[in-house]
Amino acid sequence: MALLQISEPGQAAAPHEGKHALGIDLGTTNSLVASVRSGSAETLPDAAGNMLLPSVVYYSAQGVPQVGNAALTLASEYPLDTLQSVKRFMGRSRNDVAGSEYQLGGGEEGQVRFLTSAGEITPVEASAAILNVLAERGRNTLGADIDGVVITVPAYFDDAQRQATKDAAQLAGLKVLRLLNEPTAAAVAYGLDSGDDGVVAVYDLGGGTFDVSILRLDRGVFEVLATGGDSALGGDDFDALIAAWAQQEYSLQEPEPAQARALLTAARAAKQALSDVEQVNFTVPGLPELTLTREVLEGLVQPLVKRTILASKRALRDAGVATTDIDSVVLVGGSTRVPLVRAAVSEFFGREPLADIDPDTVVAVGAALQADVLVGNKPDSDMLLLDVIPLSLGLETMGGLMERVIERNTTIPVAKAQEFTTYKDGQTAMSIHVLQGEREMVEGCRSLARFELRDIPPMAAGAARIRVTFQVDADGLLNVSAREETTGVETGITIKPSYGLEEDEIAEMLRASWEFAAEDMQSRQLAEQRLDARQLLENLQSALDQDGATLLETAEREALLAQMAALAAGQELDDIQTLKMATDSLARASESFAARRMDASIKQALTGLSVAQLDQLGEAD
Amino acid sequence: MDLTQSYFALFDLPVRFEVDDQNVAQRYRALQKQLHPDRHAAGNPQEQRLAVQYSAFVNEAYETLRNPLRRAIYMLAQQGYDRDVLSSRQVDGGFLIQQMDLREKLESVSGLVDPEPVLDHILTEIGADSAQLMSQLASGLAAEDYEISATAVLKLQYLDKLRAEAEQMESWLLEG
Repeated sequence: MALLQISEPGQAAAPHEGKHALGIDLGTTNSLVASVRSGSAETLPDAAGNMLLPSVVYYSAQGVPQVGNAALTLASEYPLDTLQSVKRFMGRSRNDVAGSEYQLGGGEEGQVRFLTSAGEITPVEASAAILNVLAERGRNTLGADIDGVVITVPAYFDDAQRQATKDAAQLAGLKVLRLLNEPTAAAVAYGLDSGDDGVVAVYDLGGGTFDVSILRLDRGVFEVLATGGDSALGGDDFDALIAAWAQQEYSLQEPEPAQARALLTAARAAKQALSDVEQVNFTVPGLPELTLTREVLEGLVQPLVKRTILASKRALRDAGVATTDIDSVVLVGGSTRVPLVRAAVSEFFGREPLADIDPDTVVAVGAALQADVLVGNKPDSDMLLLDVIPLSLGLETMGGLMERVIERNTTIPVAKAQEFTTYKDGQTAMSIHVLQGEREMVEGCRSLARFELRDIPPMAAGAARIRVTFQVDADGLLNVSAREETTGVETGITIKPSYGLEEDEIAEMLRASWEFAAEDMQSRQLAEQRLDARQLLENLQSALDQDGATLLETAEREALLAQMAALAAGQELDDIQTLKMATDSLARASESFAARRMDASIKQALTGLSVAQLDQLGEAD
Repeated sequence: MDLTQSYFALFDLPVRFEVDDQNVAQRYRALQKQLHPDRHAAGNPQEQRLAVQYSAFVNEAYETLRNPLRRAIYMLAQQGYDRDVLSSRQVDGGFLIQQMDLREKLESVSGLVDPEPVLDHILTEIGADSAQLMSQLASGLAAEDYEISATAVLKLQYLDKLRAEAEQMESWLLEG
């Protein structure tokens, strides 16, 4: 039997090696990856030195998908096989994305699918292909496997969109440390860089999404006071308006997919050029040249810009602050280069926005900074991000009304319970419809899932008390559990997500994406299981070194050590099942130790505070 | 951690209606710095699950402790005056008539050419009434007179609802 090394308290068993974590900005138009290396966060380039990876995936009938610039050059030739801006389709149904330039499959409801030469492709798969390329870039640059990633999402992403993003990471074989809201990531990069405390407004207008967040920065604590936005409003919409203008100028009725794509490409080029000059030539192959002035462009996009200002106004009101309370305004996202956008933002907030940060890279940099902390490289960091849920969560009640259970802009994690009862004698099942949104009527909200509560003990009508708990975790993702209170019976739940993929669908995609034989799959599983075991042992060892002597009785400590030794011995075996059982059993056995450590840590934190306050009083005297 | 303990105990504060906002905020941050899931992201799944539960409980406690009306409702519930008891109580007729008055004024606002001064006036009136009730509530709770306190809470809830409607109206008018 292998003996476990027990080190002196305060000394690690092995010299501490930094873990490898990435921050990934999975954008609508471009994606980036960043990492903290020798103390500072930087974006990682590809072999050719490019930081930005175009979020474009080309699917052909044969071979692996192509991602990035290689795919972008194929867009005009294969408009239906080259997927751009897939972020706009994440967690969306066909009903939501009417009028897309792609051929769409999938039912009216449920996750939309693109019909390509490679068959049906979900936005989740296309996003996973992009993540794969970024993770590979990270592995190559860092020369190591990746221990975990922080992926940024628009703050205004709802549950379905967040879940789809997490699914994509799972498909790419990445461990998600956290889904981080993009404006919060920008605030982290800005705040840690400037060291300024105060109230910050982050205005983030990207390729496909708009967010505005109001945060209070105070000595490493980033407290989001409110967030607002529109997850379907961005530079793509500017392009579409310009393309529609050109279509009208050309008197085109219904352009072919290739021509529609060419119009959009020309629109984007014209828009970008107009940030620097007053007028540009609008050129599309095979069509006469047009002239587009900045004035015409501004007339076209003005209504969209106004929408962003209204959302900013609402976020301020929700945050309970006035524009005069704002200490700085940070611009994020490529679309904030449009002069009209900058002018509207500075007029509304009554101050010049900060322009010294690169609006393209700031989000990835912030994500990398948080990833470095979360993976455990900075145990003494003071950084703490307190984020909020962007949209209210609730239930369908009688008459098609939405009853809110968790209000928007509530700090996460949050748990709220609601009680229900039966309306028929002997009723044993009940269905619950979970919604997200701000409207009063169900139709105006997004359907997240339908839950079937089963195994309710038969009782007289109104006697059962079913307590349904909604829990939103730090990723902004919802979990639901239910319990019958009078009997204590846990009621079974069948979840039918309205948009996300089913668990077995993901497993199937994983299997399909592995070009390995069955034994390779086994070895991958074994490697993952061994990693789990090793991480648990390391965690527990360092916890024991710190608190084992004070928080555990001798017998408890010895019991844990014996289980750890058994698991350490089992690590060498090739039996996945045995290893998994030993890991799970040790994790369970250590749970009360983990709870005691947390209790001790908060006692200490509050005691420290009381002493500090007494000191302050003393000084005041 | 005992998830049934009182919010005051969690924050290690005496059970009193008056709290020092700065102190509560400071304690909140100290607790979250230990318990937030970000602090346990490198830990095992059990530890992460505990962190989500504990952190959510601290958030709930903070929401309650920092908001005077919610804090009062919480203190009353601890004394047996829960939501059902509160909602079954009667408030005096004078107060109700005053409420109906304000509500009528609010409903007529949308027809006015210049609604803003009227809205401002209504919001000021609600604010003044609330402040008065809040001080009644504070002395009621200090004297452990839960009857007076419960009545004050009930009235404050009416006013809160009205204020929310007035603010909603204001934002509609502002946004056109």
